[in-house]
Amino acid sequence: MASQVTLPRLGQGMESGTIVRWLKSEGDRVEKGDALYELDTEKVTQEVEADASGVLLKILAGEGEEIEVGKAIAVIGEQGEEYSPPESADSDGEEELTATAGVEQQAEQRARVAPRPQAAEQMENGGRVKASPLARRIARERGIDLSALRGTGPEGRIVAEDVERAEKAPPAAPAPAAAPAAPTGEVETIPLTGMRKTIARRMTEAWEAPAFQIAMTADVTAAIRLRQALVARTGEGEAKPTYSDILTKVCAVALMRHRGVNALFGGDEIQLQPTANVGIAVAVPNGLLVPVLRSCEGKTIPQLAAERADLVARTREGKLRQEDLEGGTFTISNLGMYGVERFVAVLNPPQAAILAVGAIEERAVARDGELLARPIMEMTLSCDHRTVDGATASEFLRTVKQFLEEPGLAL
Amino acid sequence: MPALTYREAIRDAMSEAMRRDDDVFVMGEDIAEMGGSMGVTQGMLDEFGPDRVRNTPISEMAIVGAGIGAAVSGMRPIVEVMYQDFMTLAMEQLVQQAAKHRFMSGGQIKVPLTIRTQGGAGWSPGAQHAQQLEAWFLHVPGIKVVFASTPADARGLLWSSIYDDNPVVFFEHRTLYNLKGDVPAEIDGIELGRARVHREGEDVTIVATGRLVHEALKAAEEAEQDGISVEVVDPRTLLPLDEETIVASVRKTSRCVVAHEAVVRMGFGAEVAAIVQHQAFDYLDAPVERVGAKFAPIPFAPVMEEYVIPHAEDVLAAVRRTMGKD
Amino acid sequence: MATLEEKGQSASTERLKEFLREMLLIRRFEEKVEERFRAGELPGFLHVAIGQEAVAVGVCRALEEGDVIASTHRAHGHTIAKGTHPNEVMAELYGKVEGTSHGYGGSMHLYDVERGNLGANAVVGGGLPGIVGAALAFKLRGEPRVAVAFFGDGATNIGTFHESLNLAQLWMVPAVFVCENNRYAESTPAKQHLPIEDMTKRAEAYGMTSMAVDGQDVEAVYEAARKALKQARDGRGPVFVVADCVRLSGHYVGDPQVYRPKEEILELRKSRDPIELLRARLELADEDWEEMDREATRIAEDSVEFAKKGTDPRPEDALKNVYA
Repeated sequence: MASQVTLPRLGQGMESGTIVRWLKSEGDRVEKGDALYELDTEKVTQEVEADASGVLLKILAGEGEEIEVGKAIAVIGEQGEEYSPPESADSDGEEELTATAGVEQQAEQRARVAPRPQAAEQMENGGRVKASPLARRIARERGIDLSALRGTGPEGRIVAEDVERAEKAPPAAPAPAAAPAAPTGEVETIPLTGMRKTIARRMTEAWEAPAFQIAMTADVTAAIRLRQALVARTGEGEAKPTYSDILTKVCAVALMRHRGVNALFGGDEIQLQPTANVGIAVAVPNGLLVPVLRSCEGKTIPQLAAERADLVARTREGKLRQEDLEGGTFTISNLGMYGVERFVAVLNPPQAAILAVGAIEERAVARDGELLARPIMEMTLSCDHRTVDGATASEFLRTVKQFLEEPGLAL
Repeated sequence: MPALTYREAIRDAMSEAMRRDDDVFVMGEDIAEMGGSMGVTQGMLDEFGPDRVRNTPISEMAIVGAGIGAAVSGMRPIVEVMYQDFMTLAMEQLVQQAAKHRFMSGGQIKVPLTIRTQGGAGWSPGAQHAQQLEAWFLHVPGIKVVFASTPADARGLLWSSIYDDNPVVFFEHRTLYNLKGDVPAEIDGIELGRARVHREGEDVTIVATGRLVHEALKAAEEAEQDGISVEVVDPRTLLPLDEETIVASVRKTSRCVVAHEAVVRMGFGAEVAAIVQHQAFDYLDAPVERVGAKFAPIPFAPVMEEYVIPHAEDVLAAVRRTMGKD
Repeated sequence: MATLEEKGQSASTERLKEFLREMLLIRRFEEKVEERFRAGELPGFLHVAIGQEAVAVGVCRALEEGDVIASTHRAHGHTIAKGTHPNEVMAELYGKVEGTSHGYGGSMHLYDVERGNLGANAVVGGGLPGIVGAALAFKLRGEPRVAVAFFGDGATNIGTFHESLNLAQLWMVPAVFVCENNRYAESTPAKQHLPIEDMTKRAEAYGMTSMAVDGQDVEAVYEAARKALKQARDGRGPVFVVADCVRLSGHYVGDPQVYRPKEEILELRKSRDPIELLRARLELADEDWEEMDREATRIAEDSVEFAKKGTDPRPEDALKNVYA
């Protein structure tokens, strides 16, 4: 009996995926567990395994086609077998295969599988901004983000007036030019795809959270010594611990002490997490990914360094698995290597907090009435006020600071 | 400035051309003693005689075809086709012969023929005497199409049509014949392919033809009470079309309504909408609205006829829609 | 010294020889057209007038300076008979700038306004109203010119024919309507599309002078045309001339003519070929005939050479001549 291969949901929030490449051809023998195709979801590209053995009778979804989760993408069965669709009562079943379909019908069915009005509607409501051509042009010329505007035209369309109003609204904005500036060159358009779409959506969601930020500086003299000692003990081929690894460990321990920060916002509940799963923001060529190190509170710094090195390498090679990206309870974003002194990170919902870490710099500090040069690191904690309050956040951050200054306390 | 009715203005252009030029003559059904079914040629028989104000049998294809033959042979005939509905009978001669002679002969021939025809609903003439078929002709390379909405335009445009070296279909609207308006003291041609801006405005451009020009002007007045400033453009010549004036207006106002009495579907308005979206895309703040007859033959019963054809309030509603005020 | 009668005889003989020369030229031209079409050189589709040469030549020879004609889809013969050089006709069939319509028209739209050819028409009956109009123009201006429409028996069933004859007679315009009655409307034989035998009755219904003539006898056609043209020119009204003729070819080049028996064509070629009939009547010496044939063949071959050397129109010139 032939079975349909449907597009699996490979992670929370995954609605659809794009088949990058089929790894088997029609007519190939496939064993359950064989890598069948490469799939690009919003987050990663990954190989997907066959969930049945047999012959790949028919590929229904072409490479590059975006498919909704649950839709048939291929048929696996026995050689020469004809396949028939499950009887479907509703018209929605149209995308299913028709019984002993002739070649032409199959082609027709295949065509039906791909873009469906329903999907288009979702796009309408989800990503697409409804705006008049004139509104778009004004927004383009003046660098205004239409997605942030509310349309007052028919059916919520953003019209020129809405853009004009938005431009006038922020008092700090540069004074609008009396006449639209003459365009000085071609605008290069980069369509949002996969990861960037996710980033756009997630960061916009994050912006809805009532966030507050607190900052502290830490004297990292002791942390530097610790790192030097750890590096000295690192064997050939082993990952050298970094300040980030130390931070990960330190934060993890602090999170277990201040579990109110190691929490997720669940809409009508706050979910305190049992382990500290720390996400680390990793820049990749077309965006940013946050792979997660699990149960960091119980791991040594060298262990964390090894895991981190593996994760970062796989992130850059595009070889992350879906689970590498899931389950985070807290995130660290470190821009110190770029010379950034301090910055404010955008929340990574539903996590309660994210720590933004700047560069270690020698600064003059007063100690017991004397000016001393000390390596100082600035940390800014962004918090979701729905989950965490200022006092909890401050206690957490103070613990992090103490651990950095006296790493022994974290043991 | 003398004031003439639309009917008198058309007659004036024909008579003056016939006085000045022996090559101009008029032929059609019931145009001599009766003076035309709409009274446009009244009195012309007396002045010019039956050779030049020529009653014809009811033979649309032959009289349009005879007009073509006379035009090819150096005359400037004016053929009156009593109702534009009857142009259906002359389509072969117009579309296959008049429109193509010059082309098929590689430029040897010109066809300076004017076909005057009229139509329009609003007085219960029924389904075979009330249509607005201008769109059919706009699809044909080789002919020109004029639709005048005022006495001054009718006279000037007809004059230019008579002296144009191409076949021109000159549409008159039945309900405008008694419309009175100032015309210049001296007859002068109005260039074919030039629109008239009847009224300037800032918020919405209405491109209207024939009777709907007047409906559009009424709608514009009402819109002004609402604080909507409306520009009304009458292309006057539908082929060739003054795209420049229309596009410039829409670029100024960012909104466009097209209004004609013909059915909306595949009408002149569709072409205008296409031109506007293409040439003024980045200026549009609302979809182009089309106003026209509902998709049915024109019914007889006055209440049904009234329902099918467009009026000022339909134009106003479209204007308001473009403003997001419906 | 020749007698008056002999003089008349010899003048008539000379004229008939001229007619023969011209009919033969049309025949050789049309055969060349068939040959070049089969060789794949000619675009579009073509209708040749093989067998109907006597009507074209007999009518056009009777015309006077200033008279005009409108032709049909089977136009090559009329056009050559009206004075257009075969080179220009052939060049048009090849779609060349040197063609009579500069490549815009083609076989079915041969125009030569300078020589009084107001155009061939690919719509059956399409040219008749225009001929009434041209004749009306001549009448209104008092010009002693006549407009002549060629059309086939098939056209007498279309509205333009009836409207045009009615209008022409009503207005007494100087027009002559020449019906080339070859008994086929494309493939449809007369018995399937004409309810009457005597075609002259069609015009009689409009009160028009109507005459029938043997369309394979060029002299008879010529005389009938002269009579008709004179009546029209004199303001005594239009004339309808039915020339019973024979289409020895198919409707179009390549027509397998499944609608008529092969024997019919063979028989007609033997008994009703207007060129053979005239040649026999003139009792031409073989050498005279061969000389005449060589000349006609040479002109036809030259026209192909001329056409092939012609200039292709620039594609973008397709947008010219749409409006004056």
